[in-house]
Amino acid sequence: MEIVPTPAQEADSGEAPRRSFAARHRDKLLGILAVVLFFAAWQAIFLVVPFNKLFISKPDLIVLGLIDLIKSGALLRDLAVSAIPFICGMALATVVGVALGIVMGWRRRVGLALDPLMTVFYASPLVALSPLIVVYFGVGFGAKILIIFFLSVFPFIFNAYAGVRAVDPLLINVVRSMGGREIDLYLKVLMPSVLPYIVAGARIAIGRALIGVLVGEFFAASEGIGYAIARFGDLYALDKMFACILVIMVIAVAMTEGIRWAERTAFPWRAQ
Amino acid sequence: MSELLETGMAPAGDFAPARSLWRRIEPAVLGAGSIVVLLLLWELLPQLVTLQAGTKMLFTTPSKIAVTLWNMIVTGKLWAPLSVSGTGFVVGLLLSVLVGLPLGVVLGRSRTLNAMFDPFVTAFNATPRLVFLPLLMLWFGLGVTAKVVIVFIGALFPILINTYEGVRNADRGLINVVRSFGGSEWDVARLVVVPNALPYIVAGLRLAIGRAILGVVVAEFFGAEDGLGVIMVQAASRYQVDVVFAGLIVFAVLSLIMTGLVKLLENRLGGWRPQRTGGE
Repeated sequence: MEIVPTPAQEADSGEAPRRSFAARHRDKLLGILAVVLFFAAWQAIFLVVPFNKLFISKPDLIVLGLIDLIKSGALLRDLAVSAIPFICGMALATVVGVALGIVMGWRRRVGLALDPLMTVFYASPLVALSPLIVVYFGVGFGAKILIIFFLSVFPFIFNAYAGVRAVDPLLINVVRSMGGREIDLYLKVLMPSVLPYIVAGARIAIGRALIGVLVGEFFAASEGIGYAIARFGDLYALDKMFACILVIMVIAVAMTEGIRWAERTAFPWRAQ
Repeated sequence: MSELLETGMAPAGDFAPARSLWRRIEPAVLGAGSIVVLLLLWELLPQLVTLQAGTKMLFTTPSKIAVTLWNMIVTGKLWAPLSVSGTGFVVGLLLSVLVGLPLGVVLGRSRTLNAMFDPFVTAFNATPRLVFLPLLMLWFGLGVTAKVVIVFIGALFPILINTYEGVRNADRGLINVVRSFGGSEWDVARLVVVPNALPYIVAGLRLAIGRAILGVVVAEFFGAEDGLGVIMVQAASRYQVDVVFAGLIVFAVLSLIMTGLVKLLENRLGGWRPQRTGGE
């Protein structure tokens, strides 16, 4: 944490009883301290406990493994291979899910008809269909995209549906009585109201899409980050396996926290 | 939706009874209707379009799935793998409640501990638990332990985060009252914090059940030698599509029943539900 307080922050804290840098960033510093302590303890425990590299790894070995993976370009290649179906599947889920959700919310009867059906789909562990998808579509791109799509489409459907139903009817009436056209309704009332719901849905969908990537690659793949983890496990290369796991954790946190940040910045009125 | 319609309709005498009856049963009719139509289409698809021989082998109809499921139940073939899956599910979920609940209360009450645990909770909650599966298989083998750990990690965070939110939301005034009368931190937790957090905890439990079932399924797909998920993967590789769907239905029904029961409990505990829920 090399954050130096900016003049504006200085001025801010000048009004309140002056607090030290440590006091102001107490929670963040404590968090960083805990993470550092965790890795230090992980490294240090093997001074006491015998180290078996076929069973566990150490932070220094993990870092070396990570550097090795980055230098050889294997990590980047695997990430790129996994990213393409992830992006395609998520894009498909966004388009289909948002469209379906908006129609379900806008047309009352469509909503009534599809709500139970979608609930049944959402509640059933659709991952269970992935062996079938692999049988139908073979080992590859199509199967991966479908698995990701099926897992991540439902948060979009339900959130868009909820977003439309949360639209203030008064606003619709205002647009109508002022002579607004249908397109005005969609652009000026519907979209601003639904968008926060869709972004919140995207946050949930990302986690599920990541599961889809891993399921697809554990089942049937010859490259990709999920395949890399499984293969390093088979090879007992635990340092590289841990390195890949940490990379996925960092990516997952970056994406969900990134969306959270976008939610706070773009729709501050919805911040909890 | 339905109760909203009913309260709107009941006092109004202007509407004809027939129309109000239709309005009341409309959601059920439309909802059930769409499912029935979908099932009928699926059932009749082989009659409507001629399938190629290759596709036919991979195709099944709802009636065939129902017969397969019935046979699995009657012959008892379902129960042994289901009890294996159920054991992993129950033990993992119990462990996650046993750990998540006290930890959530502690993190909710202590700002320092919360700040220290926050990076780990955020990281493990955002990461799909599946990444740990190869590692867990290495550590624990193909037995029930790896499954229990996957279920545990998945179910822990909804319970932990919801408990935390519920504890944070406790009324400060009530806490101060307990304190002024000489109550200990244990009394505060027992009398104010946990009862207040209960609706949150139950909502977290509902999320946890879904994640736990997902955990059982994926753990059995990749790293187990016994269980309903194993049966499904084996069936898929033998092109017994109906068995895969039968397994899916069993998992879905169990998930619906359990979340339904928890929802009943939620409604009992109060008409309101927390806005913020953990992750999923």
